[in-house]
Amino acid sequence: MRPVKLNVIDLPKSDYTGGPSSLCPGCGHDQISGVIIQACWENGIDPRRIAKMSGIGCSSKTPAYFLGKSHGFNTVHGRMPSVTTGANMVNKDLVYLGVSGDGDSASIGIGQFIHAIRRNLNMVYIIENNGVYGLTKGQYSATVQKGSKKRKGAPNKQPPIDMCKLAINLGCGFVARSFSGAKKQLTALMKAALSHRGMAVIDVISPCVTFANNDESYNSYGYVKDHGEELHGIDYIHHFQPLNEVDIPEGGYEDVQLFDGSVLRLETLSSEYDHTDPTAAIGALHNAEIDKKHVTGLLHHNTEMPTADENQGLVDTPLCDLPPDMLRPNPEKHEEIMARFRA
Amino acid sequence: MGATVNDFVINVATANGTGSQSSNLILLNSLFEMGVPVSGKNLFPSNISGLPTWFIIRASDKGYQAPGDGTNIQILMNPDTWFKDIEKIEAGTVIIYNENVKMPVERDDCLVFGLPMTKLARGINPKMAKMIANMYYVGVIQHLIGIEQGALERAVNRQFKGKSSAVEVNLKAIEEGRAMAAEGIDWESPHVVEAREKDENAFLVDGNEAVALGSIYGGITMLSWYPITPSSSVAEGIIQWLPELRDTDDGESTCAVVQAEDELAAAGMVLGAGWAGGRGMTCTSGPGISLMSEFIGLAYFAEVPGVIWDVNRVGPSTGLPTRTQQGDLNLVREASHGDTEHIVLIPGTVEECFEYGWRAFEYAERYQTLVFGFSDLDLGMNNWVCTDFEYPSEEIDRGKVLRTAEQVSAIENYGRYRDVDGDGVPYRTLPGSGLDPILYRGTGHDEDGVYSEEPDVYRKLMMRLKRKIDNSRADLPAPIMREEDGQDVGIIYMGSMENTIQEIDDMIEETGLKVSQCRIRAMPIHPDVEGFIERHERVIVLEINRDGQLYGVLRKELPNHLVSRISSVAYSDGMPPRARIYSDMILEALEGMIP
Repeated sequence: MRPVKLNVIDLPKSDYTGGPSSLCPGCGHDQISGVIIQACWENGIDPRRIAKMSGIGCSSKTPAYFLGKSHGFNTVHGRMPSVTTGANMVNKDLVYLGVSGDGDSASIGIGQFIHAIRRNLNMVYIIENNGVYGLTKGQYSATVQKGSKKRKGAPNKQPPIDMCKLAINLGCGFVARSFSGAKKQLTALMKAALSHRGMAVIDVISPCVTFANNDESYNSYGYVKDHGEELHGIDYIHHFQPLNEVDIPEGGYEDVQLFDGSVLRLETLSSEYDHTDPTAAIGALHNAEIDKKHVTGLLHHNTEMPTADENQGLVDTPLCDLPPDMLRPNPEKHEEIMARFRA
Repeated sequence: MGATVNDFVINVATANGTGSQSSNLILLNSLFEMGVPVSGKNLFPSNISGLPTWFIIRASDKGYQAPGDGTNIQILMNPDTWFKDIEKIEAGTVIIYNENVKMPVERDDCLVFGLPMTKLARGINPKMAKMIANMYYVGVIQHLIGIEQGALERAVNRQFKGKSSAVEVNLKAIEEGRAMAAEGIDWESPHVVEAREKDENAFLVDGNEAVALGSIYGGITMLSWYPITPSSSVAEGIIQWLPELRDTDDGESTCAVVQAEDELAAAGMVLGAGWAGGRGMTCTSGPGISLMSEFIGLAYFAEVPGVIWDVNRVGPSTGLPTRTQQGDLNLVREASHGDTEHIVLIPGTVEECFEYGWRAFEYAERYQTLVFGFSDLDLGMNNWVCTDFEYPSEEIDRGKVLRTAEQVSAIENYGRYRDVDGDGVPYRTLPGSGLDPILYRGTGHDEDGVYSEEPDVYRKLMMRLKRKIDNSRADLPAPIMREEDGQDVGIIYMGSMENTIQEIDDMIEETGLKVSQCRIRAMPIHPDVEGFIERHERVIVLEINRDGQLYGVLRKELPNHLVSRISSVAYSDGMPPRARIYSDMILEALEGMIP
């Protein structure tokens, strides 16, 4: 019998899997769940330390299908960020992995999306973006491009809300776009996002095989394959991985230092692109929209901002673990306060 | 006719933003310092500067704290309400007015005295004349009713926190006003104060600050809030007290505070904190509860602890944002769609605001559900006499949380939603523990937390939730009952009506009827309430709203044979309850019974 392969904390990959998926066969979301499992396992994150968060929709159902050893909260529509915020405040030591969709995040929940970024909540925020509301049978969402057409009905007439553009404008420190079918790129970006401290947004184009996988849909497998534009080849180097095991690209490359010591190696395909410059990212996204293309890769990276929990100035122990005597003033202090009221 | 002693109402009519709050609190505190039972009501507009505001001070040896049914001393400072204020005054009222407003006071039937208050104030400090002008009426009242100088000085010192320049300037204006009144008034004041023995333990505090302190003693670890009148001062109180009461010696915080983007997010954060094992709380008013309702249902169904304080204002909709009501009872009791019910704690005094501030977290974690604090603008934002906040009588108890693998394995067939103890409350494990994790959800779920649409599973879950909340009845604060031997009439009431009930009771007893009182302090309704109704021939359910919401809850929860004994008396006009209105309505409801 072949020995079971273990990760750096001696866990088999089976410790990162979840229940069987009930999504449509071929759904892009299932591919993303697979990447989440792979990335968490390869990064050696203890699944007990992960909190899976989601809202409502096809994408938000997926936390049942990965990381079965992690606690999770499938909340209400569009409100995953606020629940994550509350949890993060009382337990800053957990790894918060939020899964949302384009309906969940770009419409009903856009306010919470915006404010979670503004606070720099320390989490990975995955948007599984297919341009339609799947669970209610295929209505357009707010991220769908102008001119894109789902399987049934007229083409979409309104301009899209580009969640990456929005996140960059709000000062998000890690913004990436990928495609559910681009396993290598998505896995590297997912691992990099997990190594980032602060808000990391990954918008993943994830075809809806049932309602929008026709060629006229800009989010279909066929369209993305033909119109995807990678900013760079991409490789993730673990902080615990000896450097000599990593392939050195033949062409030029750039290393992005991540918070936990890991490195995201970008093989530069376009030498002009500067991932530290938010205006470059906005420009690239803008041009891609005009060209009806999807630009993918690490769009923007910046580690300068304190996170929401750092701004609180909290004690080191997570608040949920504080002993009772730290949660209540003692009787002597109480007498002092009462005396002051009576003075 | 001699002057009445310690039984009068002062009404100060000013404009918002003119600094009259200081002078009014000095008056209130001066009487308090003399040991006179006193209460103050600030009737303020939804505005920062310019709109009319009234401050009502009532002195009452009987301890009546309602604003009273009339005015004995009227202060006129505001031209915008001048004529309306004068029109409402009854003959014999004392009128003190600012001559610089240059408006007439044509009331020969009243005792009238004017001073050029603004002009005099300019003489003291031209820049602050608008504020200082108010001190002149304090001086005039001091002369009229006989406020002791020592008490007055203590009140001024407290108001300006001992800042000597401010104390000096304001005392000077007050003294000038007093001297001019002594010189210029040639009639006897019909109202005077006499010092009473002051309880050295007594102090004045508002309900919102009491809730804030109580929450801190209750071990709050996450406050999320969105500003809304009249609840903001709960959050601001917590923020103000946290550094002293809950920071470590190194200045590190043990409670996170997040000003949320809206009430939905504030509620979401409470759920997140409770789910992760913290003690999360938010404070809001009716409009906020409406917005939070979806999350409230999720907390009920997924069994997540948390605390929401609702400081009621007048609804529906934006309503009268700076006026008081008990209008949210139905809302908080059953907030959210589907069959839901929530534990509601209803303080009637500032002491109870403090107590329920910490107890709310205990109940929330004990029953793994949201607990509401139900206060209102009157209780929350006005000052009330209080002698002590009793230190919590119970240790912090985190409820049924399993923290080790041994604890989990000691339970046969553990499941997040399995009722192993038969009390309706299951055990839970926390994120990060790695112990029997589940995906919490607002969708149907079985005893292990797994998605289910099975009819039996759903029905069983819903019946357990009902049993769980039902089991809290006798554990929640019991009603306070003051029963007469005669037991003709019982009055059931709640919350801030406590401050008016004795005056109402006395008015009804003038007819010869004996009246008992029963103040409900929590929902679901305590079992003792049934006994109270059994013992009385007729029971009035008295409340500050239009529709009789408490009456509705009782009708739903009482056994059928008791329902016919209760009748509703509900009234709301935005004002704090005035006794005469309610006693008249009660007497009307009791017609035929009056001897």
